[in-house]
Amino acid sequence: MIRALALAGFVAAAPFGAAAHQLVVFASVDCQAVTVEAKFSNGRVTQQGDVRVLDGENNLQTTLQLESDGTALVPLDSVDHSGGLLIEVDTGSHDNYWIVTPEDIARNCGS
Amino acid sequence: MRHVLQKVSAAGLAALLATTAVAEDRPQVVVVNKALEYFAERLLDDSTDVVFPVPEGVDPSFWRPSISDISRVQSADLILLNGAGFATWIDRVSLPRSRVVNTSAAIEDQFIVTESITHSHGDGGEHSHEGLASYVWLDPVLAIAQADAIASAVIARDLGAAQDVEARLDTLRSELTELDAMAQEVLSSVQDVTIVATHPRYQYFARRYGLSVISLEWEAGAMPGDDAISELAQIVEENDARILIWEAEPPVAAIEAAQSLGLQSVVFNPWASQGAAGSFLDAYKTAVSGIAGAMGQGSN
Repeated sequence: MIRALALAGFVAAAPFGAAAHQLVVFASVDCQAVTVEAKFSNGRVTQQGDVRVLDGENNLQTTLQLESDGTALVPLDSVDHSGGLLIEVDTGSHDNYWIVTPEDIARNCGS
Repeated sequence: MRHVLQKVSAAGLAALLATTAVAEDRPQVVVVNKALEYFAERLLDDSTDVVFPVPEGVDPSFWRPSISDISRVQSADLILLNGAGFATWIDRVSLPRSRVVNTSAAIEDQFIVTESITHSHGDGGEHSHEGLASYVWLDPVLAIAQADAIASAVIARDLGAAQDVEARLDTLRSELTELDAMAQEVLSSVQDVTIVATHPRYQYFARRYGLSVISLEWEAGAMPGDDAISELAQIVEENDARILIWEAEPPVAAIEAAQSLGLQSVVFNPWASQGAAGSFLDAYKTAVSGIAGAMGQGSN
C-alpha cells in the first residue's frame, strides 16, 4: 500500500480532474428554487441519493431524494435561505456538497 | 458623569466603526494556501489585505468552508488559486470568474500525476482515484511562475502600481533563483539516497533536485503507531532509506523511533497550512540544509 504511493512512480502528464468517479454536486439558483445536480465525475448519472438542505447555521431544513436524472429542486419558499444554503448529496457510497451564499441568491434573483 | 461616559462610549463606537469601515474598504486578496499568502504579501504593499481564510490546524487542501467564509471569498478583489487540484472547496462554490486567477495555469504541462489507489466500495465496483501532486511551489522554479502570475493579476486589477510590483517581483524572483541554486548544490550529495516523507507533499521538490522520495500517509506532527513503524522499518530495509522528512515537528519519541531504524529526521514544513513561522525562503533553506546535514550525521 505504502509502496503504491511511492513518489518514484510519478509521471508528468497533462492535467485532468482528480478521481475517476467522484460525486460532483452543482447547484444553481433563481428567484424560485435551487436546482441541484449530481453526477459522477465519469459522467454516469447519479440515479438516487439523499439531498440534505441546511441553512446558514447548519440546521437541517429539508431532505429530498434525487430524481432519476440526478437532479432535485428545492423551492426557496420551503427553506430559510436568508443565511445561504448548504446542499449535501449522499448516495450512500459517495457524498459531496455545494454552498449557496445569500449573495448567490441575491445576484441570481436580479437584486 | 453619565454624560461623559456616554460621550466616551460614542467616541469609542465611532472609532471602532471607522476602523472596521477602513478595514472593509481595503482591497482584499484571498489565497488558498500559506505559500501563496507569502508570495502575495511580498508583491503587494500594506494597502491591501491578503487573506488566507483556512483556520490553523486544518489542511487547506481539504478545508470545508462555511457559507459566511464563501461570502467573504466571493467579495474579494482577487482570488488566487493554486491549481493542480489544491483546495477541493473551490469546486463546490460559485466564484466570480473575473476575479479568480489560477497561479499555476502557465505550468500545467509540468504537473505531476500521482499514482492511483485501487479500491472498491458501494456499487461502484473496483475503481481507482488519481490526482495531481499539488505542492508545486516546493519547486522554486515553479514558484517563480506562480509569483509571475500573481504579479500580473495584481497589476491587471490595479492593486498596486506596476512599477512597484515589478520591482518587488524582481527581488522575489532573484531570491527564489538563489534558493534554487543553493538547493541544487546542497542536495547533490543526497541524490543517491532514499528519503522517506511522512506525507506525499514533496513530489515537485524531489523532481527538481533528482531525489528519490517514498511517501507515507502519516498524520502531521503525530506519533506514528506500531503498525506504521513496522511499515517504515520494511521500507528502510527494502530501500536502504536514510532520511525521514516530517512535515511538522513530531514528538521526540517519534524521532527516536525513526533513529532506531537508522533514519535521520528533518522537519520540512511545506508551507501550505497556517502556523508556518518566519519566511518561506528561510524555512526552505533550513530544510534543505537539514536534509544534506542529516546525511552527514547518518554516515558518522
